[in-house]
Amino acid sequence: MHTDDAYCVCVLRNVSLKFGVLGLLAEEPLHGYEVKNRFEAMLGGTWEVNIGQVYTTLQRLERDGLVRPVGARGDRGKLLYELSKPGRDALDGWLSQADSGPQQLHEDIYVKLLLATRLANGALNPLLGRQKRAYLQRLRDLNRLEDRARHDGRHDLARLVRGALLHAEADLKWIDELSEEINTGVTE
Amino acid sequence: MTELVRLTEITKVYQGGVTGALNGVSLTVEAGEFAAVMGPSGSGKSTLLNLVAGLDRPTSGSVEVAGSDLGRMGETALARFRRDRIGFVFQFFHLLPNLTVLENVLIPAQLKSRESAEAPGRKLLSQLGIEELADRYPARLSGGQQQRVAIARALINKPTLLLADEPTGALDTRSGDQVMELLAELHRAGQTILLVTHDAKLATRHALRVISVMDGRIVDDARLDTAERRPAEVIRLRGEEATR
Repeated sequence: MHTDDAYCVCVLRNVSLKFGVLGLLAEEPLHGYEVKNRFEAMLGGTWEVNIGQVYTTLQRLERDGLVRPVGARGDRGKLLYELSKPGRDALDGWLSQADSGPQQLHEDIYVKLLLATRLANGALNPLLGRQKRAYLQRLRDLNRLEDRARHDGRHDLARLVRGALLHAEADLKWIDELSEEINTGVTE
Repeated sequence: MTELVRLTEITKVYQGGVTGALNGVSLTVEAGEFAAVMGPSGSGKSTLLNLVAGLDRPTSGSVEVAGSDLGRMGETALARFRRDRIGFVFQFFHLLPNLTVLENVLIPAQLKSRESAEAPGRKLLSQLGIEELADRYPARLSGGQQQRVAIARALINKPTLLLADEPTGALDTRSGDQVMELLAELHRAGQTILLVTHDAKLATRHALRVISVMDGRIVDDARLDTAERRPAEVIRLRGEEATR
């Protein structure tokens, strides 16, 4: 039997964008395009934000009383936003919280692996081999990105890439462990 | 590209169950490549490097380097081959403590020829950014400096092939990065390099080919794509949560 939840229409709410916008407005009042440009610059191009997403986020934040418009619309209908006191409190609260909750495993490989184990009767080597190459390529690309960030003096961004690199190294290690386990005949 | 190394069906068996054995390894390396041999300790990757260097002989199979079949060489010819063709960089530098930096660098040249190699030796030290260390003794140098000296020593006879076995293994991150950047510069200048490492980040940082070794076998041989990617194609940040 399906519960209502199974049919619920879920809306993906981008928490980091919301607080990213609040954080940028904590520096100074900005209009929508400036928010988009500064957000993308802060993240070194790793997140390309749709301007529509930014406006929608600003409207929601205004609705919730976390930001407010400053003055009237200016050139070409631009509207400046500033952070409100409740917005500042919400931002400070978010920044002070540790990220807890379930580990997020977004990539398909986790589900692919479970399915392949059932469908391919344990013949996982080709899947693992392809995934290993993908991870090696990812490590190379992340290395380049880290180098570029350091070259550009973006040490904050380099730290972010370093985190991604360590994740990719762990993924690769995981694939190697699985390969070894399969090839030495270790089973549950 | 010219083929520089060809291993054919190499087997290496050690008595007494020593790790690092090889089992049916075949591999070619082209001139100008920067290839990394990656694997856990005991997988056989250092054995593979030692066979290419002519430091060890396979139990079966053939090793050809720069057109020479190492299996057909006697010990004297093999020593000459190593001296003239191979530069070897080790994890623990192996500098002679009672010789100065320059004297250490010149040893392979003196074994090759009676002509003084002091001028090229000093030039090499300069290229590696350690010319001011020429008259110092190894004990007075940092690990990173000692490894640079070891690289200079490996390069003094203009080797056809530079082999590096965990060259950053005894160094801190910063010195290790500098040594790897140095190897990358040498590669850009045309040096063929075969690097052995257990470190995937290191292997993918500069090498364009990653050969994975496990339990004495080559289990993968990946050539990496060098195309530059936009940051958003490399990392995607997400902070989404589902709400109704």
